[in-house]
Amino acid sequence: MTVKIITDSTSDITSNLAQELGITVVPLTVSFGHEHFLDRVEMTTDDFYRRLASENIFPTTTQPSPSLFVDAYQKLAQESDEILVIVVSGELSGTYQSALSAKGMVEGKCRIEVMDSLSVAMGLGLIVIVATKMAQSGASLDEVAAAIKRRIPRSHPVMSFDTLKYLAKGGRIGRAQRLAGPLLKVRPVLTMRNGEVSPLTRLRSQKASLDYLYNFVAGIASIEELAVEHATTPDDADRLVERLSSIYPKERIYRSTVSPVLGTYVGPNVLAVSILEAEGK
Amino acid sequence: MKQIKSIGGQDLKEMFAAATNWLEKSAQDIDALNVFPVPDGDCGTNMLLTMRSSIEEASRAPDQNISQVAQAMAKGALMGARGNSGVILSQIWRGLAQSLNEKETIDGHELAQALLQASEMAYKGLSNPVEGTILTVMREAASAAQKQVAGGNGNVISVLEATVDAANESVANTPNLLPVLREAGVVDAGGQGLFTLLEGALLYLRGDVELMQFRKSRVIASSIPVTARPLQLSAEEEEAFGYCTEFLLKGENLDLDKLRKKLQSKGQSLIVVGDESTVRVHIHTLDPGNVVHYITSLGTLHKVSIRNMDEQHEDFLTMQKGRMPAVDMAIVAVVAGDGLADVFTSLGASAIVPGGQTMNPSTKDILQAVEAVPSDKIIILPNNKNIVPTAQQVESLTDKSIEVVPTESVPQGAAALLAFDYEADFETNAKLMTEAKSGIKTIEITRATRSTKLNGLAIKKKQAIGLLDGNLLAVNDELDDVLSELLARIDLDKAEVITIYYGDDTDEAEAEQVSTGIREQHPNLQVEVVSGGQPHYNYIVSIE
Repeated sequence: MTVKIITDSTSDITSNLAQELGITVVPLTVSFGHEHFLDRVEMTTDDFYRRLASENIFPTTTQPSPSLFVDAYQKLAQESDEILVIVVSGELSGTYQSALSAKGMVEGKCRIEVMDSLSVAMGLGLIVIVATKMAQSGASLDEVAAAIKRRIPRSHPVMSFDTLKYLAKGGRIGRAQRLAGPLLKVRPVLTMRNGEVSPLTRLRSQKASLDYLYNFVAGIASIEELAVEHATTPDDADRLVERLSSIYPKERIYRSTVSPVLGTYVGPNVLAVSILEAEGK
Repeated sequence: MKQIKSIGGQDLKEMFAAATNWLEKSAQDIDALNVFPVPDGDCGTNMLLTMRSSIEEASRAPDQNISQVAQAMAKGALMGARGNSGVILSQIWRGLAQSLNEKETIDGHELAQALLQASEMAYKGLSNPVEGTILTVMREAASAAQKQVAGGNGNVISVLEATVDAANESVANTPNLLPVLREAGVVDAGGQGLFTLLEGALLYLRGDVELMQFRKSRVIASSIPVTARPLQLSAEEEEAFGYCTEFLLKGENLDLDKLRKKLQSKGQSLIVVGDESTVRVHIHTLDPGNVVHYITSLGTLHKVSIRNMDEQHEDFLTMQKGRMPAVDMAIVAVVAGDGLADVFTSLGASAIVPGGQTMNPSTKDILQAVEAVPSDKIIILPNNKNIVPTAQQVESLTDKSIEVVPTESVPQGAAALLAFDYEADFETNAKLMTEAKSGIKTIEITRATRSTKLNGLAIKKKQAIGLLDGNLLAVNDELDDVLSELLARIDLDKAEVITIYYGDDTDEAEAEQVSTGIREQHPNLQVEVVSGGQPHYNYIVSIE
């Protein structure tokens, strides 16, 4: 029986892709005041940024309740006896805890493993995609989990920001604290290291950040999977994909947008590449 | 050397008014040092407020002879004293005033004598004086003044110079005397504050008024090397600090000794100073109610202040956390102007050495900043052609690893700073930063201080002149014409961002107008206007 793969909505796996690959995505919740929306299910990225721009309310987010995971586990347990749950870094969200405690609430013989990806956005998404592909080619839960464990340190989400205001406000700034509050207009570039947000550099223009993202990818010797995502600037994402096509097949580059929950922390105008570095290097 | 035979009341007032402004510039730096007796981070501010009260009172002195002015200043200090160091400072003033009693003016000998009496008075206010604090600094400074006059030199400036030098050394030595300072890797905040005041008074007396405008006093580096800064960052494990309780007690025939004895058991850091009609009390106690209750039986209470030190301590920790080095590398930058200092700090420079065109810092200035930064690997950004060689000398004077990225202008420095890669090692970063500066064009615009002929340009005094990467290439009546002329010499098709740092005597509105002009002509460029506050240059413009 095929191992079933579950992730959460901060993986930025679009609903089309989830459907195509058979990935179950458990949504977090984004709230504007007393209005609550399931991430990507009840609110799209575009709707989110429209509201963010037009309203003074600062959105907040909530991890999925364990019951959402319980529902997903129970549904999939009817189709399989092995489930692998790969979620957003525990440093950024309590989703891992929810997924773990839900495990104890499900009876039956279905085996469930929960893994902390130490990553987020398509950095997490690409790991989930690889896990799903392996599961579909017949690998067991243990085999998939072992392979994913090796890939976690090789996932590099690299995101160029307009501002770190949202990240700071949301309390997720981590080691990028040093980049906060610049008195010149700069575009910080951040990544994830050991599950925590970590600074890479700062650039002065959008063009310079495009160059940086391109060069970051070009500097990686061997790529297993590659993704590009944006928040509000699809044209910039197109331009980046176009440039990357000279070093990596364009049709293999996954495209996505940051989810509303992620958008709460990254703000508008972010542009990101996520690279899953191939093994053996 | 400048000689001053004697000073009067007016001089005294002006010296210390200037010194108070001098202290104000560093008050926050001094706050950050504050770990003893309680790490509540307000020492610099307290000393500043005490001095302000003192200066205010000085202007109310009935006569401008030195005796009356000093009396008034002592009274003002006593009335406005805040915190431990503020109260001790008020004692210092009291001692000075007593020594200057009935004097019209004083010479160097009398100044040395007054400093000695001030030092003795400072010790008197405390029930158990602790060494390695402002007390030690005052004592050693006063004793240096004594030595100076014993050598026969009664010049007021020489006496004060000896005093300031000794204070400097004494401050640097405080961590050797007080373990809590050693552990925190800082010098004593109160001592630093006193040094800053004395230094300010000396600078004013020497006529270095311009320097006082552009620079600020520096935090003296500990004489024992600091490798890390193991400041406790969790408040939970600490004992409660209680309440810092301060007030003035007014009454008749007040007995200071009896009061001191009585309060001794009620708390710590007790200071009781004043005379039989006015007493200032400072105490750290867990039960301020008890103290106040007892005091009200003796007279009337004024200027009561009760502050929760646990809260202050937490604020202090937050402040420290913001200042904690998070990497093993640090950057020391030389810039002039508060705005530029803020910009460089916000971009990650750990220490700023004030300096630039026409005010080059010494190797020692840079070395001190390098030693003060709690990292072993330091990248220095000189940001001026003439300062590059000075910075390069630092390497041979310190055990720390030094890389000088030879930035020759503020824009080059900012670009280098931004290129810092958080995941790269020391050498790679120096390389990256050096590369980054090469892509930058710098325009500097100022007004000519005299008429001259340079590079084939006839320049009239007060005309606007412009330098492109250090070369004088344009002259015109208006600043913005010079800027346009220089911008026209640059291939702006390749540029993306223009940053205009406007100087301290340039209006923001004027700078905005200049930037609007550039935006209109070059709509593809991102133009940013930033307050640099630099002296000398009306505009420093970065083209990247």
